[in-house]
Amino acid sequence: MPSWQDFQPFIVSGLALGGVYALSGVGMVVLYQATGVVYLAFGAVGAMGALIAWSLINAGVPGWVGWLACVAFAGVVTLGYGMVFGPALAKRDPLIKAVATLGLTLVLFGLMDLLWTTSGGESRAITLPTDNSGFMIGQVQVNWTQVLGLGVGVAITVGIGAFLRYTKLGTAMRAMAGDREITATLGVPVRRVEAAAWLGCGVLAGVAGLLLADLVALDATTLTFLVISSLAAALIARLRSITLTFVAAIVVGVVHDLLTPVQSLTNYRDMTPFVLAAVALLVLSRRRVMTSSREEM
Amino acid sequence: MLDVAEAAAGARPRWPLRRPDTRTLTRAGVIGVLLAFVLFALPQLLSLYYVDAMTQVAVYSMVTLGLGVLVGRVGLVSLGQVAVLAIGAWTAARLLFATSMPYPLVLLEAGVITMVAGMVIGLPALRLRGLYLALITLMLAGAITVVLATVNFPNGGHGFLGYNGSSVHIPPIRRPGIAASDPAYFRFAVVVAALMFLLAAVHLRTRPGRAWAAIRQSEPAALAAGINTTLYKLWALALASFITGVAGGVLAGAVHYLYSIDFPTQDSITLLAVVLMGGAYSLWGAVIAALLLQLLPALLNNWGVSADWLTILFGLGVLQVLTTAPAGLADQVPKDLARLGRLLRALARRLAPSGGPE
Amino acid sequence: MREQASGARAVVALAAVIAILAAGCSSKNGGSSGGSSPAAGGTPSSTTVSTSQCGTKPGVKATGTPIALGGIVTDQPGTSFTDIANMASAYFTCVNNNGGVNGHPVKYYIETEQTNPAQIAADAKQLVQTDHVVGIVGNTSIIECSIDSSYWQHLGYDIIDSGIAPECWSTPSSAAVNMGPRYSSDGAVQYALTQHVSKIVFDQSNVPGTGYIAAGPSALASAAHVPITQLTENVPITDADSVAIKEVDDAGPAGAVVLNFTPPEALVILQAAQKLGLEDRVKLWGCSTPCNTDFLAQSLGPKWDKKLFVNAELTPPDFTSTATMNLYKAIFEQYGKKSVSGGIGSFSQMGFTEAEIAVHALESVTGSYTVASVNAAFRAVANFNTGMLCQLWTYGNYPMHIPNNEDYTVTPENGKMATVQGCTQISSVDPQIAAYRKAAGVASMAPAG
Repeated sequence: MPSWQDFQPFIVSGLALGGVYALSGVGMVVLYQATGVVYLAFGAVGAMGALIAWSLINAGVPGWVGWLACVAFAGVVTLGYGMVFGPALAKRDPLIKAVATLGLTLVLFGLMDLLWTTSGGESRAITLPTDNSGFMIGQVQVNWTQVLGLGVGVAITVGIGAFLRYTKLGTAMRAMAGDREITATLGVPVRRVEAAAWLGCGVLAGVAGLLLADLVALDATTLTFLVISSLAAALIARLRSITLTFVAAIVVGVVHDLLTPVQSLTNYRDMTPFVLAAVALLVLSRRRVMTSSREEM
Repeated sequence: MLDVAEAAAGARPRWPLRRPDTRTLTRAGVIGVLLAFVLFALPQLLSLYYVDAMTQVAVYSMVTLGLGVLVGRVGLVSLGQVAVLAIGAWTAARLLFATSMPYPLVLLEAGVITMVAGMVIGLPALRLRGLYLALITLMLAGAITVVLATVNFPNGGHGFLGYNGSSVHIPPIRRPGIAASDPAYFRFAVVVAALMFLLAAVHLRTRPGRAWAAIRQSEPAALAAGINTTLYKLWALALASFITGVAGGVLAGAVHYLYSIDFPTQDSITLLAVVLMGGAYSLWGAVIAALLLQLLPALLNNWGVSADWLTILFGLGVLQVLTTAPAGLADQVPKDLARLGRLLRALARRLAPSGGPE
Repeated sequence: MREQASGARAVVALAAVIAILAAGCSSKNGGSSGGSSPAAGGTPSSTTVSTSQCGTKPGVKATGTPIALGGIVTDQPGTSFTDIANMASAYFTCVNNNGGVNGHPVKYYIETEQTNPAQIAADAKQLVQTDHVVGIVGNTSIIECSIDSSYWQHLGYDIIDSGIAPECWSTPSSAAVNMGPRYSSDGAVQYALTQHVSKIVFDQSNVPGTGYIAAGPSALASAAHVPITQLTENVPITDADSVAIKEVDDAGPAGAVVLNFTPPEALVILQAAQKLGLEDRVKLWGCSTPCNTDFLAQSLGPKWDKKLFVNAELTPPDFTSTATMNLYKAIFEQYGKKSVSGGIGSFSQMGFTEAEIAVHALESVTGSYTVASVNAAFRAVANFNTGMLCQLWTYGNYPMHIPNNEDYTVTPENGKMATVQGCTQISSVDPQIAAYRKAAGVASMAPAG
């Protein structure tokens, strides 16, 4: 069993990864609350945005323009999807709406492999300016990108929490989560609020895509299906509370990385998000019947 | 569509089956002729490349059948059927290497063990409904995939896991003696698939089928009518797991070599996509789904077209099915062709030289 | 409502167009991190070499009955070996334009697969039964050798491949131009051992055959009485930071970390180590052949010069200017530029070498080109100087084949891979190597000179 000293660096890397999981998870929860859609294409949209940023940067465009393009692309595609397929599926069960986003995921996934072909020995990478500097906490080297990952996760969670509570648009979104029909009759422009929710989620997807491309890998398959791990955090929070999603994501990230030096479990550490989600849903909610009706929350 | 009252009435014992009517007999006749053609004529007409592809179609038609029953008949969406297939294949491979049991027995055992595993894992999950159930199956499938990557598939080694990582020459998984060649194994696979379809059809026409229809229509109403919804949902899970487990067994013999990288979680998503496209509500839909999943890629590979186009097609197909055509291709193609005809006529009218305000 | 929807659709379409344009701008230029654009294999190649040297009758197009050859390569998201087959195809095209093989053009059928055993078996049958190929050249696949080896043996095909699966080196019907993951890892570990490290941490990707691959380094380490830790990682790697930390912690300051991954995964680990300042926390880093690309040298930067030692299965193209190497570069320029996206490097070198051997063998066939005659010719290749390997290449009638068992070691230097150690034999401490040398009846193979 490794010593406490051995575990320390893994706590840092786990916090960074958890921060980005939190970013994705919070984005998905907010959209679910406002529109009833679990946006499973979150990862794919961010991945494609990151690949676009890579292409632009590779062609000589300045870094920040590329990143802006990534976020803009993710926002626009998500908004577009929401505006086209939102009304078409509005009256359907949340399960159908979630499966529909799987359709978008497949389309984007296929497009990505077509447009950015895998070539024999080469790979793509996104580097952020924070990559090459860091500082020491005790014996542990901390890289600024890791700080960025955690920091953005915290900032987004706090920011969105405040947004939902204190702004008019945020309050409208919370109202829609409760009951869409009644909110509409009260004169809230539900379509516009929905559009804002979709756009916001898309922007978050772009930011998450960039950070994950740097922290993990710029690979379409990895980034598209990493959303399943973020989903685990959102599920632990039962798709309800963004604070709980954040905490769950951090726990998932840290536990996952802490298992790395434990020889007997290290090969199974990728199971962490799934096991934690299963435990949270199947064991801890033993006494409840979970339906997907939002009123039940 | 059966309504709840009828389902409750159907709670009376209905065994043995009713005597089939003319329509059923005609349908059975058509299926019989088709089956005969596939069994006897098809292997002669196709090259070995396509015989292998059609064997995969037969295997996956059982998988899509299981998922179709769950999604179409009971309303349970599972995003983890590929993991169930992997369990079936693993069990069959282990038995085939460790014993010299006859193949049908191996398939039966693989099916039963997978069924038990499916029920054990599925029972607590059944408390969840709709979206949560689907997402938890995704989580469970993800966990099983990670375990498989470490544990690997049996390859003739010793011990419980039967995996020998240092082998310089992996032995192939055996096939039944009478079905060793590719065309013969294709016939074997088709026969097994036909039996599974028969099993499912019998279920659908008797009490479980009616109970499932009632549950899909309205679970509270079904409960109120006295139907034990948990039992029937578990039964559906058991049936789907059994059929998928048997499919895993047939897959093991078809490919001779099993690797954990061949059962990734994302394949479960593609599987759901084709089941929706083919039509989750009809048994023919399962066959169409399997053709989409296994024959189309083989065709595209042969023509040099990238498989990515297929991924995109499936994504668009899911969107189309969910927004406009819940019954899938089996129902939709005739309707689509009619609509296409109407669109073309409208276009022709608009492009007429008189020119419109548009 | 309808205007909203159609407006949204237009926006989506615009976004898609922008995406496609952006991708089209640079997706084919090969990868790089951040913004630098690598010049693939930058030595000024001697353009005076005419590609017509590939064939026996320069400038004469071959018009006889075609000789059908086939190859199966993996091509899936994340792993693509099409460069190898495409370079072989480029070589065959060159030969066809310059006299062919005794006047016959070579028709090369390439089948791609996505690591699906059923599909791979079907591809083999397609090549044999539908395309009627008489020889198999250029196979490069994660599992193909395992799936098809008994099929090839049964039908009498002796394949020339660039292998990965264990069966590519342990069966009678396959001879590879490369060393593959096990023997290349042996080379990397062997070099680390010559630097007197106190411990070896060997980390590899968790794809089929990890035990087989690990056995080589284990044998070498225990013969040298150096402890070795065997690790595997699921790919694609999602937590490179913790992988790097784990490896460095285990190896210790006097130890070595040796990696066996595909280039993108190895790069991700090495870059994570660099971000966390870990590269100097061990004595040295080692890597098997996949790391041997200029692209990796450039992406890593100067911190890894003389720190990372990569085993090179093939002669490094950058600082070599022999006739064959120049021919290879010229053929790439003329025939392979569009289809071989990885450029000059080990993948295209392997494709070139396999095609070279095949053509050399085919030229010795008298009479008709049948499965029997062609494969007998393949088997008869002996002591052939490919110009790309340390040794002369021999197929031979042995129960197993490891014809390439001598290697270079290279290290990144100013954005390129430079040779640190010349041709060195893989030690016979590895039992498979010993078995091959015994079967081939030689204590050591003759160097290419």
